[in-house]
Amino acid sequence: MLKRLIVSLLLQLAGLFVFLSGFFPQKNVLTGDASFTIETQIQENTKPPFNKLVLVVIDALRSDFLYSEVNSEFSFVHSKINVGEAWGYTAYSNPPTVTLPRLKGITTGSTPSFLDAILNVAEDDSSSNIKDQDSWPRQFHNHGFRLRFFGDDTWLKLLPNEIFDEYEGTNSFFVSDFEQVDLNVTRHIPDQLKESKEWDVLILHYLGLDHIGHKGGANSTFMPAKHREMDHVIEELYNDMKDDTLMIIMGDHGMNDVGNHGGSSAGETSAGLVFLSKKLAKYEKPIAQKNVKVPMTLDDSSTFQYLSSIQQMDLVPTISSLFNVPVPKNSVGVLIPEFIQLLSKKVAGIKIMENYKQLLDVAKEIDEQNYIKDFEVSRKIDVEVIIDKMRDIQKDLIRNATDYNYNNIFIGYCVLVIATIIVIVHSIKVMHFSVSLILTTAISLLLGFSCFGSSFIEEEHQLWWWIITAFVAVGYIHSSIIGKSKFKLYFIVFVCLRLIRGWNNTGQQTTYSYVLSSILGTKPALLWALNIWAVFILCMRDFKRNPASFISSFTLGMMVLTYKLDWSIVNKEQIPEYLHEIVRKYCEIYTGTNDDKVFEDALIPMATLFFQSISTICVIKILAVMLKMQKSDTLLNDMAKYITLLLIFLSSSTNIPQFLVFEILRYCIISIVKDQYDSSIYIVSLISLILQNFTFFQFGGTNSIATIDLANAYHGISENYNIYIIGWLMTMANFAPAIYWATFSWGILYKGVKNKTNTFVKYKIPHVLFNCIVGCSLLAACVALRYHLFIWSVFSPKLCYYAGWILFMNVIFGCIVEGFLIALV
Amino acid sequence: MTKKNKNVKKRVTFSDDTTITTHHTHKKKDLDYDRPPVYIRKTLTTVPFHLLILLYYYIKVSNNYDTLSLLLTLIPLQIAYLIFQFNKCTIYGNKRLKINVPLLLITIGGSIVLSVPAMIIIILFGAPFVEHIFQTWLLALHASFLAYPALYSVFNCDFKVGLWKKYFIAILIGGWISCVVIPLDWDREWQVWPIPVVVGIYLGAFVGYSITAYI
Repeated sequence: MLKRLIVSLLLQLAGLFVFLSGFFPQKNVLTGDASFTIETQIQENTKPPFNKLVLVVIDALRSDFLYSEVNSEFSFVHSKINVGEAWGYTAYSNPPTVTLPRLKGITTGSTPSFLDAILNVAEDDSSSNIKDQDSWPRQFHNHGFRLRFFGDDTWLKLLPNEIFDEYEGTNSFFVSDFEQVDLNVTRHIPDQLKESKEWDVLILHYLGLDHIGHKGGANSTFMPAKHREMDHVIEELYNDMKDDTLMIIMGDHGMNDVGNHGGSSAGETSAGLVFLSKKLAKYEKPIAQKNVKVPMTLDDSSTFQYLSSIQQMDLVPTISSLFNVPVPKNSVGVLIPEFIQLLSKKVAGIKIMENYKQLLDVAKEIDEQNYIKDFEVSRKIDVEVIIDKMRDIQKDLIRNATDYNYNNIFIGYCVLVIATIIVIVHSIKVMHFSVSLILTTAISLLLGFSCFGSSFIEEEHQLWWWIITAFVAVGYIHSSIIGKSKFKLYFIVFVCLRLIRGWNNTGQQTTYSYVLSSILGTKPALLWALNIWAVFILCMRDFKRNPASFISSFTLGMMVLTYKLDWSIVNKEQIPEYLHEIVRKYCEIYTGTNDDKVFEDALIPMATLFFQSISTICVIKILAVMLKMQKSDTLLNDMAKYITLLLIFLSSSTNIPQFLVFEILRYCIISIVKDQYDSSIYIVSLISLILQNFTFFQFGGTNSIATIDLANAYHGISENYNIYIIGWLMTMANFAPAIYWATFSWGILYKGVKNKTNTFVKYKIPHVLFNCIVGCSLLAACVALRYHLFIWSVFSPKLCYYAGWILFMNVIFGCIVEGFLIALV
Repeated sequence: MTKKNKNVKKRVTFSDDTTITTHHTHKKKDLDYDRPPVYIRKTLTTVPFHLLILLYYYIKVSNNYDTLSLLLTLIPLQIAYLIFQFNKCTIYGNKRLKINVPLLLITIGGSIVLSVPAMIIIILFGAPFVEHIFQTWLLALHASFLAYPALYSVFNCDFKVGLWKKYFIAILIGGWISCVVIPLDWDREWQVWPIPVVVGIYLGAFVGYSITAYI
């Protein structure tokens, strides 16, 4: 039986990864640098409208932060837009709306591949850089412009550093840092203004606004001050500018109201984009800006479409034309029509045709090239017709950003189907058509079918809630029919579940303002009382039977609490006054100093000590059991406790009380399962499966890249970090509740059972069956809907999450870790 | 007592359900006077057609899904349904019971009181707790007035919940199934809380009142 389980798991994994390699291929890009192709002589000798460029990128600058009457504090920018010295746009930033892929888009003008979003997390990765790809900073450098860069070091990872004469990268290591990260950029401005003759292009990238968003959402109280600070920077730069300087203010992407980004909602994809120059006042404004005064209000502010809407990539050919450099090879941007008037008549036509030809090259459409030959003869074009044509090509290009490897997709899918058939046959043999098999199949099919609907993927937590309520209600009715009615227990279970459901905002469509985590965030006294209780109750688990483990877990628990308190202080969260003093004393012991930075300095040593102690205790426990110095029956319970402490360590402080609810829930469920279902392995497995998924979403997880919790991946890690450790911590932190409910079965199933391997394999069957059925359906959905509008924003992230669940929860934790422990006892 | 009866007694451990079981096993003979059988006659008379008409009114006619006015129409229609249809099909102790007018009125109060636990159940099943609290209460009132005939019968038949429980469960299932449409991103005006669930519990009640006699 064990063999079959391993074979089907390996087949499933192999199938999935072959499929993924075909579904997410590296993108084919045109190599080499672009050069002028039409009327080369004329182009090379033209004098461009602008000679100097100042680009200010403000991370996550959503369109309404620039233009809205309600949100915007950019009063200087408003005044310039109103007099016509600035032209404002809402730029559509293609998902995935995270910084690295967006910067790729902004510099090369290409649509990012989905893999870039994942690699944005693994910042060290070098395969995502564009050092060999054509981009406008590279073109500028090749054409003798001198570039300087200050700000987010993602730019320096993306671009070859030698193109900048002077640069300094800032690191977004502490998301809670709103000020220093921006001051590190702004402090360069006075010097740069003094040396303004020595540079032609100045790029600044500010991160503070994004940090505020991540921490406090789009309507955070820190927002207005940050707007004013940025506005002031812009004013300072602008007042020093000459007529031939163009300044661009832009966001690389937007954010949703919670402050996350990565997905494809209107807020996340609508970034602001403003062109500023004294010269612009002489020309005709964009039509949308003519009879409008900013700040303004929209009829429907949820669309975020202020002024004219363009594609963010359009920036690339526009500045290339305005500064008379070739358009980068892989760009899919279209010259912004209003800027054509800035070019002389003769050049304008050439630039448009150049852009058109370059787009055709990217699209590999050769037939249309005749059009260009005609132009070379007649020199006459109809601007609107060409722009429309270019927009059509652009639309096609954006939609078909990747080439799929159909062979791998086919092979991978077939292997997965074979694995599924094996699992189904096997589970029918073992489980016979029992109620639990029918339930498992029903849930798997339900989840499987839901993969075909984008909103069901976005709102998967609703499905799990739907399943769980039915499961509990049916359980209660069943209990009353067999005459073991347990109204109280079921009521407590229901209340606990409802509390968990109301804990966090999850899903990608709605955000509620009254969720428990945000309410608790404003009541630090209550929050920390609950947190202390959570740790204490956890340590008390099994106290009667095994008081010895209380001491070790309690020591670890205290370390967790002090660390979490210190972390909250460093992140400027409120904590109760009396705890503040205790933590301060504690930190002073750790660091041996007592200045203001004591809290920050103590973080890493505290975390290191915790990691060392917990691993030492675990190793000692395991060794003691292996060498038969200790009885093995308490091992599983103790390990479950330590793992939970580690999970608490990796959770944010407002989520820790959930573990208290989990403990209560766990206690009730165990007594229900023992009494009503006689500890049936399959029922336990099914409960664990449902709760793993349900709590994963209610911890704040979704099927979107945007909600991957990064803040908790850096515990105990200094600036010279190792990407693999961060990867592990991140996975643990994001799957924390799922891991908790995976350990839930340990306390029930293996007590006094002789053939533990048999029990273990039986326990895994519903999980594997579920994953196989959902996998078949999800992969089919991804292939069938590969031209769907949401393929990159909804279906592909779901595919990645699915791979994560299989690889981490099922194979690494569920089989290797759990299997190892079970083999010991 | 016959042997058959003894078997029945052994099986029945839950007092509420004696009514159902006795009704199935006793059929017409062997009346146990301590526990007179309660059952619903299997006729088309129990089908609550007025619920469908009300739903039609709610979805097509009423202005912007007026949940309150629907409730106000529901109450008299449910009373009429109880008097002219449901009660005539209820057999308790081998007789049809006459309409007990004071009890009709008491049950209206009972339904209003029942809306509080109904609301707790709805919230436990995931309804928003702080926002839309009035809408949730309206939904609870709908649910408890849909259960009005069953509730009346519970009072009228000496609190034998066993049979009538099925009606409450039917309403619950209707509401539960209807929640599927809530997460869909169709942005229709009928996806607003609590409209889908109101429709769901009406359909649940319709099915429940129509088929419970047969199961």
